Amino acid sequence: MTQPIIRLEQISKVYGSGNVEVQALSDVNLVIEAGEYCSIMGPSGSGKSTAMNVIGCLDRPTSGRYYLDGVDVAGLSDSELAHVRNCKLGFVFQQFHLLPQLTALENVMLPMVYAGILTAERRDRATEALTKVGLANRLNNKPTQLSGGQQQRVAIARAIVNRPVLLLADEPTGALDSRTTQEVLDIFSELNQSGITVVMVTHEPEVARQTRRVVWFRDGQVVHSHMAPEDLAQMTVAIS
Amino acid sequence: MNIFESVKMAVKTLTANKVRSSLTMLGIIIGNASVITMVGVGQGAQTYASEQFESLGPNVLFIIPGSDDARQSTLDLPRTLTLEDAQAIATQVPTVDAVAPQLQSQQVVTYQNRTSNTSIVGTTPDFVGVRDFEVEEGRFFTELDVQRSTRVATIGSDVADKMFGNSDPVGQQIRIKNISFQVIGVMERKGAFLGNNQDDVVLIPLTTMSSRITGNTSPYGTEVSFISVTAEDATVMDAAQFQIRNLLRLRHQITDEDDFTVRSQKDALEIVGNVTGALTLMLAAIAGISLFVGGIGIMNIMLVSVRERTQEIGLRKAIGASQQDILLQFMIEATIVAAIGGIIGTLVGVGGVMLIAATTPLQAGVSSSAVLLAVGVSGAIGLFFGVFPARQAAQLDPIVALRSA
Repeated sequence: MTQPIIRLEQISKVYGSGNVEVQALSDVNLVIEAGEYCSIMGPSGSGKSTAMNVIGCLDRPTSGRYYLDGVDVAGLSDSELAHVRNCKLGFVFQQFHLLPQLTALENVMLPMVYAGILTAERRDRATEALTKVGLANRLNNKPTQLSGGQQQRVAIARAIVNRPVLLLADEPTGALDSRTTQEVLDIFSELNQSGITVVMVTHEPEVARQTRRVVWFRDGQVVHSHMAPEDLAQMTVAIS
Repeated sequence: MNIFESVKMAVKTLTANKVRSSLTMLGIIIGNASVITMVGVGQGAQTYASEQFESLGPNVLFIIPGSDDARQSTLDLPRTLTLEDAQAIATQVPTVDAVAPQLQSQQVVTYQNRTSNTSIVGTTPDFVGVRDFEVEEGRFFTELDVQRSTRVATIGSDVADKMFGNSDPVGQQIRIKNISFQVIGVMERKGAFLGNNQDDVVLIPLTTMSSRITGNTSPYGTEVSFISVTAEDATVMDAAQFQIRNLLRLRHQITDEDDFTVRSQKDALEIVGNVTGALTLMLAAIAGISLFVGGIGIMNIMLVSVRERTQEIGLRKAIGASQQDILLQFMIEATIVAAIGGIIGTLVGVGGVMLIAATTPLQAGVSSSAVLLAVGVSGAIGLFFGVFPARQAAQLDPIVALRSA
């Protein structure tokens, strides 16, 4: 039996203390299996971003258990969490967050620097990742010399270069037009087909519609977790 | 991530902000250069003064009026030393070779229509031997001139040049305080002693000086400003110092505190060493402050840099940088700035010291200890002032850092 990639058990997150306490998440239970392509939706303030931060090991829950790839991350130290983010997770952000002084290739090589991979291998793998997102001819461009869609594709290459098990995307198409949005979504679905679990926060229904499952958040809780039956069938085939 | 990677990354960041990096360095450069230059100047002054006193010879003693305490408490020196004291030392102290009392006064000297404000020194013939002067032309005055208070003068080379130009001064009449003196000789060029021009001087018999120029001012006899003495050789200095002191105490009928001080070259060197040592320390302290300010400059810029690069730090954390990685990165940046600034500052300082040595009489030298100290301190300053901003960077919450736009 395969482990679920993500298992949230009774996760709560409280910000602040005393009178200004804000309950961002309350008793969230969520399981995302390996190989899923899932989007998280919900109005602002619904807790979807907080959930994303917890899933991405950028934030620790106030209570509850979170198993990532079978490991309880609550017991990990800060530097162990950094290692988890480095090797198991890939992040894609709305604002791309590329380092402006580095070229596309160098930006993609950055996670491998922290992973302690040798320079020659870094270069090869970064080139491979950029080729996968269709930017083989833009290796030495600085971010300012690239369009928004190209920058986001560099960011995706950076997210997958350490071969993560889980790709987390926070509003990845929020800053893109509809044509480049489709390009990015196509890359996500390719990556998903190659075996990477993709979880994406979005507020655009047409984006969410292209994923195989939509998780709805409201008032810090999962209110609806919908999965199309035909997709479920497909997925079962893929996993077994 | 290893140190080499961190250094590479830091260099990349620093070269991406060339203007800012070099301005930050400037503080350290100036601090470091001034430490090395100032210490070089201080040590140069020390060497210079020591050489000057050593040039007096190891067997010279000076007897000056007043005790050390008295000289500290009043500007007006007691007039306790006399020509008779000098004569007594010459005749009664066996270890003494020669004695040259001196009475000095600043006066206007005229020759025809030319005037010059010059130091007039009344002394005895032994002066030439004791102070190691040479007569270039004509002669020095004799014991007979002193006994008879004759109005003769031997003039320094600068006075000769100023007053007589190309003509021969020997045999000419000059006037000091409206009394006419016959020039009987010109001294060889001697150079400066501790900044005093020893060639701008008119030497006359001590007795003439006290009777005609200064007037008899001491109740004890013919007053002198100080007495220079040479001992027979350097080995009997302590004995000579002891004997002179006893003789003068006896002559001055002193039972408690001396009203004079006998000082050897060694004493003078010690005093000079103390004074210039304190000077060096003071200069180094002032320069050290500028180095410290340079360090604060680094901290300031690093703090701004952490603010400005919040998103970068957040992203680096998200893609797997640990707190130590971020800490190391910022510390290395600060240390590189400080170290490169330190090296450039050292070069500038060494250049400055060499310039001073070439253009002034100060034999300013670069001591390896000053260089090591300055480079070491600037590196340490980089580390020290880098810690605080680096810790701020390392402890940034990645979520907050990524959200800040």
